[in-house]
Amino acid sequence: MSALEFRDVTFSYPGGADVLRGISLDVPEGAFALLVGATGSGKSTMLRLVKPEIAPAGELSGAVRAFGEDVRSLGPLASARAVGYVFQSPDAQVVCETVWHEMAFGLENLGVPEPETRRRVAETCSFFGMGPWFRERTAELSGGQRQLLALASTLAMRPRLLLLDEPTSMLDPLAEKDFLAMLFRVNRELGVTVVVATHAPEAMLDYATCAFELAEGRVREVPLEEVARPEPLRAAQRQARPRGPGAPGAGCGAGSAKSPRADSLQGGCAPDGPSGGRFEERGLIVADDLWFRYDRDGRWVLRELDLDLGAGEVRAVVGANGCGKSTLLAAMAGVVRPRRGRVRNAAATSQALLPQSPKALLSRETVRDELMEWSHAGGYGAREVGASLAELGLDAAADRHPYDLSGGQQQLLALEKLLLVRPRLLLLDEPTKGLDRSARERVAARVARARNEGATVLLATHDMAFVRAVADRVSLMFDGGIAVTEPTEEFFKNSWLYR
Amino acid sequence: MARPRSTAFDACHAAVPAMLFAGVAALSMLAVHPVLVTFSLSGALAFSLVARGAAATVRGLAWQLPLLVLVCLLNPFFSASGSTLLLKVGPRSVYLESLAYGATMGALLVATVLWFEDAAAVLTQDRLLALAGRRARSVPLVASMAAQLVPQMLGRARAVRAAARACTAAGPRPPARDELLRTSTMLLSWSLEDSLERADAMRARGWESGSPRTRYRPERFRARDAVAAAGIAALLALGAAGAWAACSSWEFYPRMSGLAPWWCYLPFALLALLPAVAELAARWAERGDAG
Repeated sequence: MSALEFRDVTFSYPGGADVLRGISLDVPEGAFALLVGATGSGKSTMLRLVKPEIAPAGELSGAVRAFGEDVRSLGPLASARAVGYVFQSPDAQVVCETVWHEMAFGLENLGVPEPETRRRVAETCSFFGMGPWFRERTAELSGGQRQLLALASTLAMRPRLLLLDEPTSMLDPLAEKDFLAMLFRVNRELGVTVVVATHAPEAMLDYATCAFELAEGRVREVPLEEVARPEPLRAAQRQARPRGPGAPGAGCGAGSAKSPRADSLQGGCAPDGPSGGRFEERGLIVADDLWFRYDRDGRWVLRELDLDLGAGEVRAVVGANGCGKSTLLAAMAGVVRPRRGRVRNAAATSQALLPQSPKALLSRETVRDELMEWSHAGGYGAREVGASLAELGLDAAADRHPYDLSGGQQQLLALEKLLLVRPRLLLLDEPTKGLDRSARERVAARVARARNEGATVLLATHDMAFVRAVADRVSLMFDGGIAVTEPTEEFFKNSWLYR
Repeated sequence: MARPRSTAFDACHAAVPAMLFAGVAALSMLAVHPVLVTFSLSGALAFSLVARGAAATVRGLAWQLPLLVLVCLLNPFFSASGSTLLLKVGPRSVYLESLAYGATMGALLVATVLWFEDAAAVLTQDRLLALAGRRARSVPLVASMAAQLVPQMLGRARAVRAAARACTAAGPRPPARDELLRTSTMLLSWSLEDSLERADAMRARGWESGSPRTRYRPERFRARDAVAAAGIAALLALGAAGAWAACSSWEFYPRMSGLAPWWCYLPFALLALLPAVAELAARWAERGDAG
């Protein structure tokens, strides 16, 4: 019997075109199925149709069956028991204040008696190794722990089918691996059928047993080998800029060599690299022996940190989660004051910071107003905004609320908002987090263009393909300091961990 | 916030410390009597030192002691009664009795605040909410969601303001009022957006599925807890009777007089010192087990 079955399912939102067109698919019991496709291809819609209590409103024809039963004939109670659903955001989907209460939340809703609740909570927490943080407050958990908690609290209800919508896109690579390893155990040891919707399936290929691709409203089963296509990101090539040579020994490569792969990223800047353009080796923003911690009794987040960024450079800062990358950006921007040491920032009056969540930057009612917010200071007007909208492909959405855009579009909008004021220094905190491939490419291309127009960029990221696409040099951050800084190509060549 | 370090009250059902602290705080608020207030303040301070630590206690006293002194000094200016004239400030006479009354009230205020702080260190929010009746369906949940929302909003407000401060290329920062409006508007839409997904996450886990909810409580009310609760109830009754007797015979004005016999104060003193003594006893019993 199929755990999940779609038969000729067609779905459209009210007054809209068909999102799904005559979809049929079978997920066998015990499978670990991937549902891949770009953002906006309808993956979430498809998964939600399996849970009527969260299904979008619209026109649905055809049949969706879970374990042979039409899901619409299941009541909310039976649906909650049979089908589990894990959402994308680690912040939004945790309901209760403490871990133990969150674990029991679903069981309380189902009216499971207390002794049985006790048993299920105990078993699930044991399976996930959550004992040590069982009595923690959920607000104090890391993103990875919260996501694991969401998975565990869903599984405490013992569903036989588990649907996950981009469950790891907000996690750093290490937390993603932990989460997936756990999900795999759920699949193999507990026999739960798993369906994961994702735009980044690479990390899940070791676990998956089958994959479906959703594109233009149609779904087809694809061989797993076909899903694995780690191509480099594409970004605009560095252009030679009409300016004097850099400091002695500075820059990398000479002239405007147009390599045959001119549009295939590799903005790398190895001294002997083929890429054109140059940047100053040092001097625009200099951090000297920075020390910082949030509390007097806390641990040092930055310690003995030196960083020297030249005008026109794109510098990527990489490193494990919690190594202080965001704090470094905040210190460079002058938002946090180091306890010791100092930052000399020649672009202090012309800088812009893209925070981890674009929502911290989006403040207006419409997309157009959003881009107009800083027009006075930036000295631009409706014409420039119109051109930006066209370039972002947001013409049609100009009067919509920014929150109605997809995550990738929000990120591009926030980035565009910053770039319209033409900052000399651009600080980006995880600019590609949670974005699909095409959105990442667009962010890379936009950053490359800003660089070509003279901006200096300092970015913190976990996305190595993005680093390869845009960065001139890479700094590896560890233990609050910079462990090594090398030109991008050299960095990856010498690295044992990052490829 | 510092982790609560209480051991005595961690090991019993939340109803026991809830009853003890609520009773002691209530008695303290009602008993305007120098001797009783002294016991109350010493008990609250002692427990604070033991359970919350010296650092947290001293940080609190940094504003509580000035408050005590202020109330003490202000009282003579509002009530010029008494018989022992100490000095004259302008047209006002300052009497010893009036000062003493102010000091008592100030100490009472500080003691009450301390008792609440002590209770908060023992009764974390989830323990308190678990005390709500079985019929209280969604109230504890709403309270716990609200409790999460506040720190989350504060964190986001910091992120929004940091981003605004970092974007110097966007021109000078707007006036404080505009910025406050901008920030709060952003936080509101951000939270609303979250709440949509949270509502879905709740429904996906059977919220409002029509079946009667059950309540899971990790704490069980044992016989030991019942005995402790009964003991505390008895002590509270005795303490209340004693305090009533002590207060009704006592007079501040015109001359402080009417001290009740010593055994009237005994139950109240026991009550006030009970938390600290219980805590120390529990630690003594566990000595050597932990560092």
